[in-house]
Amino acid sequence: MQLVLMIMSGVEDGLRLSYSIDNGDGQFVEAQNRWQISIGRKEDSDLCLRNDSFISRQHAYIYWESERWWLEDCESTNGTFVEHADSDARVKGAIPIEVNQLFRVGHTWMRIEENNK
Amino acid sequence: MHVISLKDILINARQESVQMRHHYLGIEHLFIAMLQIQGGITASIVEDYGFTTEYIIDAIRRKTDKGSNQRLWAGFPYTPRTEVVLDITNDLAMENEIAEATERELLVAILTENDSLPIRVLRTLGMNLQATTLAAMGYDPKREPQTPDIHVAFAESFDNTQPIEREQLFVLRRMFSGHKVIRVEQRLTGFSGALVLVVTPVHADGHEDAPMVVKIHDADSILDEVHRFETHVKSALPLQTARLEDSPVKPETSELAGIKYTLVAHSDGIPMDLRHYVKAFGTAELGRLLQKDLYTQFKITWWQPKRPFRFQAWKEYDWLLPPLLTLDFIPEDDEPEMPLVIKIPVNRAKLKTKMTEMEFGDDVVLENFTVQKIDYEHNLLKLAVGYGSEADKRAYKIEMRGVNGLSRTFYRGETVERLMGSVWKTRYDLMLDAVRDLEPDFEPDDRWISLEELQLPNPLLAYDNLLDRHVNGSMSKIHGDLHLGNILVGPNNSVWLIDFGHTRDGHTLFDWATLEVSLLGDALMGVLDSDWATVRLAVRCLIAAVNEDPLPTDYEPIIHAAQAVDALRNIVRQCLTTEENWYEYYIALALCALRAITWKSMSLGGRRLLYLVSAMAIFEMNRKYLNTALETPSPDLTDVLPTRVANPDRNEP
Repeated sequence: MQLVLMIMSGVEDGLRLSYSIDNGDGQFVEAQNRWQISIGRKEDSDLCLRNDSFISRQHAYIYWESERWWLEDCESTNGTFVEHADSDARVKGAIPIEVNQLFRVGHTWMRIEENNK
Repeated sequence: MHVISLKDILINARQESVQMRHHYLGIEHLFIAMLQIQGGITASIVEDYGFTTEYIIDAIRRKTDKGSNQRLWAGFPYTPRTEVVLDITNDLAMENEIAEATERELLVAILTENDSLPIRVLRTLGMNLQATTLAAMGYDPKREPQTPDIHVAFAESFDNTQPIEREQLFVLRRMFSGHKVIRVEQRLTGFSGALVLVVTPVHADGHEDAPMVVKIHDADSILDEVHRFETHVKSALPLQTARLEDSPVKPETSELAGIKYTLVAHSDGIPMDLRHYVKAFGTAELGRLLQKDLYTQFKITWWQPKRPFRFQAWKEYDWLLPPLLTLDFIPEDDEPEMPLVIKIPVNRAKLKTKMTEMEFGDDVVLENFTVQKIDYEHNLLKLAVGYGSEADKRAYKIEMRGVNGLSRTFYRGETVERLMGSVWKTRYDLMLDAVRDLEPDFEPDDRWISLEELQLPNPLLAYDNLLDRHVNGSMSKIHGDLHLGNILVGPNNSVWLIDFGHTRDGHTLFDWATLEVSLLGDALMGVLDSDWATVRLAVRCLIAAVNEDPLPTDYEPIIHAAQAVDALRNIVRQCLTTEENWYEYYIALALCALRAITWKSMSLGGRRLLYLVSAMAIFEMNRKYLNTALETPSPDLTDVLPTRVANPDRNEP
């Protein structure tokens, strides 16, 4: 299982990040049979966004469960948002997230990339 | 042609980044720096598409938001994407054998990379990026094209009492460059200050195109409408409707812009709006048309696919009322003592208490309000809870006066951490002024307005509590400004909607309450006298009509209008969330009608009538759904009665 993220704004705009379960990235939660990547300002986050001061210590998770990607907001102060035509929709709890769908964690936009392996 | 070097663009891009407190160099900063070059390639291409550079700059800034005051890194790094784009830029310069890269190479590089934030903004505005890339490669900024000599003719039926202004004519001519003559058939009037016309373009060989609708308004409003059409409306239109076809037209020398709606139809002939239709065929005929043609044709994609929506009334209706506060700006260095702080998210109960205590000259601090609009002409900053056309984002409007001479710039959609001002007027003050302008035959701040044996609650004292009520309603796609002027009808009763500047997902009944307000205020009061006796009689009839009592008059215009309202209410009946529960409609009607009393364009009679209609709606809601017989007010009704008594002298008769 592999997750490729692309940062779409901020000082790291254009940065591509790759996570793989085979390399021991992220955590596997057996109870729910899910593989998750944590996003936050905390140093030990899988994706540590230390350059965005609008990010909480533990801000959000991206996880693979039931054959799809999910985005979960961890009651972050400044919120997690999904891009929407009119205005961005704040994520409450966990929502399914599509590849290439833009979402924002704090002020940082990102998306899950197509996995071309 | 003026070519700006990459070096100069980088300098301006850094300035933009610092102003946004970003302290890195991203594509968004480069792109904004390029848009700011007057007569530059980027600016010219964007303007050829009918957009203004300011509009696009604001949209890009909204996407990134301002950074925090805290610096998290030293230096001024380039983003990974900027590195990629600058590499492409330099490659292009080498290929083209230019010693130093310029705006052109940078623009082509950004378009080639095709994944940055500004590119996404252009895409949502409906720009064709492939064509833009080709244009960028070979672009030679044109001189301001000469306005071709297009003759503007007026049809005989055109009412010329209100001539079209020079600047509007200028935009109109520019929109039809390439034609020989355009014939203005009719003016369709809106409330918003926009000029809406039905125009027939005529080619040099005398061939006439089908008539189309032209709208000319300030550039921001027009471009917002284009944006909404692109993102919200386009995919959900019924087959036969007005469509936005060409790009908007925004001449450099004008603050106005224009768009064209083409009318897809099977019939020829000049369409008219329902205001003209009423004059020609009467209100009774109008009722049939609304029910038989408008609702039937549009319901499938608009009002019928609805989902349950429980909301507090202010979320959908607060934005209709005058600004909560109008403040005079206080610069940051004059920190007031003990100011009143209003912050987003708003604690409604606390805010209400504060509002009743608010007086002229009180100092107020606003935290995290969002800029809706910057009115440079009047030095006015219009703020609200959020940004966007959804009603709950436009709630809690606050206007800040005297913001000229500021060292900082604001952009639309910016969330401003802190702003200070002193109270000039509260919403209540503005509403009271509006009620006084009606020259009421009752005390403006009496609790009750008598209508023969009935005692109607005075909306001025009731509106604040109405906004707190919870509504079990439904949500669907709504037009957002469904007045008689925005509905067109052609031969064979083919119906079109125009003007999608306010289209959104919202309370389904909002459209019908808006239409009822237009029907009563425009159509009915167009033929009635504006004296209070007539107005009261009309309201009495409306109450009788909806309660299926015999009408107290045989005066034809009123009877016909009552029939039209009846037809409209039949549509509402089909849109109610709970069968025969009209509570959600009365809330909508009370607040939509109340909104109209502040409209300058509404006649005195119209405003008087709608004030009483608002009172009537509150009355019906209270008596039918709050189980309280309000015909004889009694002291135990405190929960449904207006409670605005904080300033007791206001309530003295």
